[in-house]
Amino acid sequence: MTNKTAPGALGHEIVANMVKITRARIGALGLQNARRSLSLIRQGKSIVELTQQQIGEGDTALVIAAGPSIKRRNPGPAIAESGYAGAVIVPDGGIRYCLTNHIVPDLIVTADPHETRIVRWFGDPELTMERLAADDYYRRQDMDSAFADELRVNDEMLELLDKYGSRLKIALCSSASPAVVKRVHEAGLDIYWWNPMYDDPDQADSATRRLFEENGLPCVNAGGNVGSACWMLAAEVLRKAHVAVSGMDFSYYADTPYYNTQYYHEAVALAGVDNLDSIYVKIFNPHEGAWFYTDPAYLWYRDCLLDMAGEAECRTYNCTEGGIFFGGNVEYTPLARFLLDIAGARG
Amino acid sequence: MDEVLKGNFTTKHKVEVQTAKAPSLEERFEMEALKKLGGSMAFVSKKKVMWDLKGKE
Repeated sequence: MTNKTAPGALGHEIVANMVKITRARIGALGLQNARRSLSLIRQGKSIVELTQQQIGEGDTALVIAAGPSIKRRNPGPAIAESGYAGAVIVPDGGIRYCLTNHIVPDLIVTADPHETRIVRWFGDPELTMERLAADDYYRRQDMDSAFADELRVNDEMLELLDKYGSRLKIALCSSASPAVVKRVHEAGLDIYWWNPMYDDPDQADSATRRLFEENGLPCVNAGGNVGSACWMLAAEVLRKAHVAVSGMDFSYYADTPYYNTQYYHEAVALAGVDNLDSIYVKIFNPHEGAWFYTDPAYLWYRDCLLDMAGEAECRTYNCTEGGIFFGGNVEYTPLARFLLDIAGARG
Repeated sequence: MDEVLKGNFTTKHKVEVQTAKAPSLEERFEMEALKKLGGSMAFVSKKKVMWDLKGKE
C-alpha cells in the first residue's frame, strides 16, 4: 500500500479494500461463534417466525441506531411522546437509550462477534475494574458518554435487562459471542436466530452456504454493521413499506477529536499520529449545512446501506438530522415529519 | 537432509515449485493493523436474505 498523506487518501484506499479487510477481521470468529451456538440454535427459533407475527402496527419501522446524533439531537422524547405505534427496531448499542427514554423496542438486533465488548450493551455480569482498565473502547468514544461511568452504567444495564428482558424480542445473529448468547438467554429475551452473509451464497465454496447447511438459519446481508442489519430486517424480514432511521450518522461531528473515534488506536497504528488526516474523510452535509468526518469503516457502511436502499422495495427515510447518510434514493427527512405525516402518529 | 532423501527417478519435465513470497514484517504489521479497521459484519452486493438453498430471496 502506498504511503498516502493527502487528506482522506488512505481512508479511501482502505474503503476500496474493505470487503477483504472485514473478512480477515471477523470471518473466522463469526463462524466459530456459530458452531459454538449450534445446539442452542437447533433448539431455538429463527427469524422465519418473525415473518408470521405483526411487529409494530402498520407498515412503518423506525430504526433507532446509536450514532452521535442520538446525543446531539436527543430524539427519544419526541418519539416517546408522539404516539408512534409502528415497529421500533434497535441495534444492541441503542438499548439503553431507548429503555431510559421509555421506548420499549419491538425488536433488538445484535451481530458483532467481538468476544467481550458487545455483551456490555446487555449488561456484563463478568465486568470488573481490571477488564475496564484493559480496554478503553467505550470510554474514548462519542457514543454514550455515560459509559464513562462504566461500572455504574453496567449495573444499570443489568437491572434494565432483568426488568424488561421477558418483554423484548431479539434477532440474535449466529455470529454473536458466547457471552452475548448466554446473557440474552439468562435475561429471558424472546430469541430469533439468523445468519449473516459472509460471502455470496451463490458462489462455489461459499462459507455462507456451508453455514446454512450446518444450522439451517436464513442468511441476511447485514450491510457491514448492526445498524444496517436492523434496516435489512425491517425491509426484508418484516417487510415494512416505510423504513426510517435515526442516529444513523456513519460519521462524527466536526468538533469530535480523533481520539474519541471508534478506530483511533488502529488508525494511529496504521498511519501514525501525525498522519491521521489521511485516514479520516471529511464530507459536507448540504441538508444540515455542516461538515462531518468519517473513518473508512463507517464510510463503507454508508456506501453499503445506500446500495442496499437502492435495491429495496421499501422507502428509506433518514431522520438522523446529521451525519453523512444521504443521496441515492434515501429521503432525508426531519424526524417530526416521519412521525406525523408518514407514520401518522397522533400523540 | 538432501543427502538422505533422494528421489529414484528424474522427471521428464523440469518441475518448478512456486512458493509464495513470505510477507515482509512491515507487510504483516500493515495487514494486522488493517484488519482492525475492518467492518463489524460482511456486506454482499445485490443480496438481501437467503431463506433456503433454492436461492429464493
